[in-house]
Amino acid sequence: MEISSTSNLCIHVMLLAFHYILFDSILVVYPFRNRWMETEIVAVNFLCISKMPSISTTLPALRRSQITISFHPSNFHAAIKSSMQFLILESVAAWKNSRILTAAALYLLNSGVNHASFISIYGTEICLSISESIDVLVSEINHFFQKMMILNIPPALRLFFFFFQNIAIELLIEREDIPGSRCENVFLANRSNPGPLSTSNVEFLKSGLEDYVLKHGNSLTQKCSTCFATSECLKVGSGIACSTESHKSSGLMMEVVIIISEIESTCPCFRECSSKTEVLYFKDFTPCSISHSTLNVLSTIDWKSYGLTLENVVDRGVCVLEWEDSPSHSHIDMVVHCYHKQYPMHKTQLERHLIKKAVKAALNNLKEKHPGILLSAHALKICSHAPDLARSIAGLILSSNDPDFQGECFSLLGLQSREIGADVVEDCIEEKIVSVIEMNDRKSRQRKVVAPFLFEADCDQDSNYQDKEYEEGEDEFGYVD
Amino acid sequence: MERNASSRALLSKIKDLTTSLVKELSEGRSPNICIHKFRNYCTDPNSNCLCSSDLPKGQQVLTLTRQCHACRIDVLLRVLVIVQKLLQENRHGSKRDIYYMHPSVFSEQSVVDRAINDICILLQCSRHNLNVVSVGNGLVMGWLQFLEAGRKFDCINSPTTAYTIPVHVEEVKDIVSVAKYILIVEKESVFQRLANDKFCNANRCIVITGRGYPDIPTRRFLRLLVEKLCLPVYCLVDCDPYGFDILTTYRFGSMQMAFDAKVLRVPEVQWLGAFPSDFEKYDLPQQCLLPLTAEDKRRTETMLLRCYLQKEVPEWRLELELMLQKGVKFEIEAFSVHTLSFLSEQYIPSKIPKVEVLPGNNFKS
Repeated sequence: MEISSTSNLCIHVMLLAFHYILFDSILVVYPFRNRWMETEIVAVNFLCISKMPSISTTLPALRRSQITISFHPSNFHAAIKSSMQFLILESVAAWKNSRILTAAALYLLNSGVNHASFISIYGTEICLSISESIDVLVSEINHFFQKMMILNIPPALRLFFFFFQNIAIELLIEREDIPGSRCENVFLANRSNPGPLSTSNVEFLKSGLEDYVLKHGNSLTQKCSTCFATSECLKVGSGIACSTESHKSSGLMMEVVIIISEIESTCPCFRECSSKTEVLYFKDFTPCSISHSTLNVLSTIDWKSYGLTLENVVDRGVCVLEWEDSPSHSHIDMVVHCYHKQYPMHKTQLERHLIKKAVKAALNNLKEKHPGILLSAHALKICSHAPDLARSIAGLILSSNDPDFQGECFSLLGLQSREIGADVVEDCIEEKIVSVIEMNDRKSRQRKVVAPFLFEADCDQDSNYQDKEYEEGEDEFGYVD
Repeated sequence: MERNASSRALLSKIKDLTTSLVKELSEGRSPNICIHKFRNYCTDPNSNCLCSSDLPKGQQVLTLTRQCHACRIDVLLRVLVIVQKLLQENRHGSKRDIYYMHPSVFSEQSVVDRAINDICILLQCSRHNLNVVSVGNGLVMGWLQFLEAGRKFDCINSPTTAYTIPVHVEEVKDIVSVAKYILIVEKESVFQRLANDKFCNANRCIVITGRGYPDIPTRRFLRLLVEKLCLPVYCLVDCDPYGFDILTTYRFGSMQMAFDAKVLRVPEVQWLGAFPSDFEKYDLPQQCLLPLTAEDKRRTETMLLRCYLQKEVPEWRLELELMLQKGVKFEIEAFSVHTLSFLSEQYIPSKIPKVEVLPGNNFKS
């Protein structure tokens, strides 16, 4: 983890704690000014409570144990990285164990930290004092939890805590120098029925991303009913790729969920950035930035075969895909989750190969479930001829002087033969032509997906549609024929 | 009557084709339009090709899986709508008329021509059956008389007067002739030379010109005359690659119209001249010779590969090879270097066999 800012470190601390959160617990995070420090610093408390109380219950009454680690800001970056990780892991995992105190003391002796001023250990509460603007820190924390809710429930813990269903995170913000300034942000898991234990990770990921979209990036506590009046506003597709053929064996798993949402531009919550997609990337149940190699892979995907034109891939700490000519009322959200079926974790070269497969699988899943969307550029070109083709076929029917022939054609089209307007006939035929073109497009994608790879390495050579004109045996010279 | 029956049959085929398209679309299937491929020659003389037969040599299936096919189907259906109207209303239109009905879509005349040919192949008919006509470009003079749509063409009364070959060849009937042979000349200039020299007064023949590459009415008219009159047919062209190609068009048909070759080619055509060997034989001076251009040579080499030159007219191939070998060409008008009427009074008469022509005989020059 690169500590580029204290916010990043804070988030990393929260991640480590989050991984070990008890299923039936509330993780309470609240930044506060450490009253014991002379300098102005902000502390963050992580509190894990073993029971599921009402959100309104005050914190001190439920506090079981607390670890507060405060350091002087000046040696903050130099001292803490791996030590902090060690300490927090120990404290959270053994919150009832008296070894916590021992571990903390050992750390202090070994780290050579000269300015540690205060450590208190209360089991599952971790207090980290850092110097940072509280507004920036709160914004980062908010954003962190908004993303974390996409993951929904860490699956490793479901094995042990299957009778618990919900998770909630409460963020309390209180400035001691401003009395009565406490405010709360609550991040609730979305569902009363998240699904049985057998529900796969990708299904959780799907429901998490759906919630994320419906709540406008989890900034709302409820679905935005203005933008999403019906469930048809969202088109969801998912794809999975793993490094071994069998999902049962251990290996690297890549899960991708893509949601295409359609909202009206008149909606007050309409996002102006419909031509951009932030790729939400998780690795081992942890939000993180996408590696450069993975970014490159995303840019090499044949987006045009899904009717999308990738204009740019931007890496500003988060990966943003910028689309060219995207419909203004559509927005694409994407989440990618890469994790190992078993620990310990180890790096693998397969990740960037799997991400391409998983993204394509998700796009193909979308096409299969929602005919008519993500048509390839090739199919869109053919569709452009559909109105003219329909008009000509309708012209052959309607200009015929044989009423029996017309009646037969109307019957085949499912139209009433009386007082049929040309527009009705043309529209009917055009719809059928477009449907056939879409079917051909889906079939052509399926033929490419079924083709097996010989090696693990990605040898997917996206073929180009060669629209060569048919060449007859033409004569050498011009004719007046 | 016959034409009406033909129109009804074609309209029925158009309806069948439309019904088939509608049925396939309604059942969620991608429609396929199969178009047979025809050719009248190949460039592999060693193969046992069937180019001389009128059977199709393969087929192409147009589907909605390729954009180029979608374009071609679009054009084909647009032209088909127009053809259906022409047949129903018993009216005629030219290819150019059809082009101007959708110029932005058709983009150029050849696109329309191809669609018309595709429709002819699909409906198994000739272009004139679709009531699509081309402007007639050919001229005829000589010992010939016929009717066309009630109009009498009495060339016999004035054998040196040129008449335009009728466009509606199917309307030509009551053909009467006392000619001994039919002479085809490549160019209008040569046709006029013969007319000025009153060639047909001295020679009992019919003279035809297509004024360059022959159009469909000219070739159909020639075919009709040969079938009806059973006369030998001689072809006089310039001694250059273009002239040779025009000669093969009359004899074997064109690749573009290969699907209709059986009604357009005239296997009886014989090459009267001008041969490369005629240059020395008739003492033409050097200044009448022109060098073959690089394009001339390329085209000659390409024509030499045509299978029918080896299989059916090897003697023609020899003369073509001689032309390429010598690297020179000359026009028919070069014979005027001797006298203005050398062509009419000496060259052509010396080439035509001096035997009585009986119906059904084939003569070799």
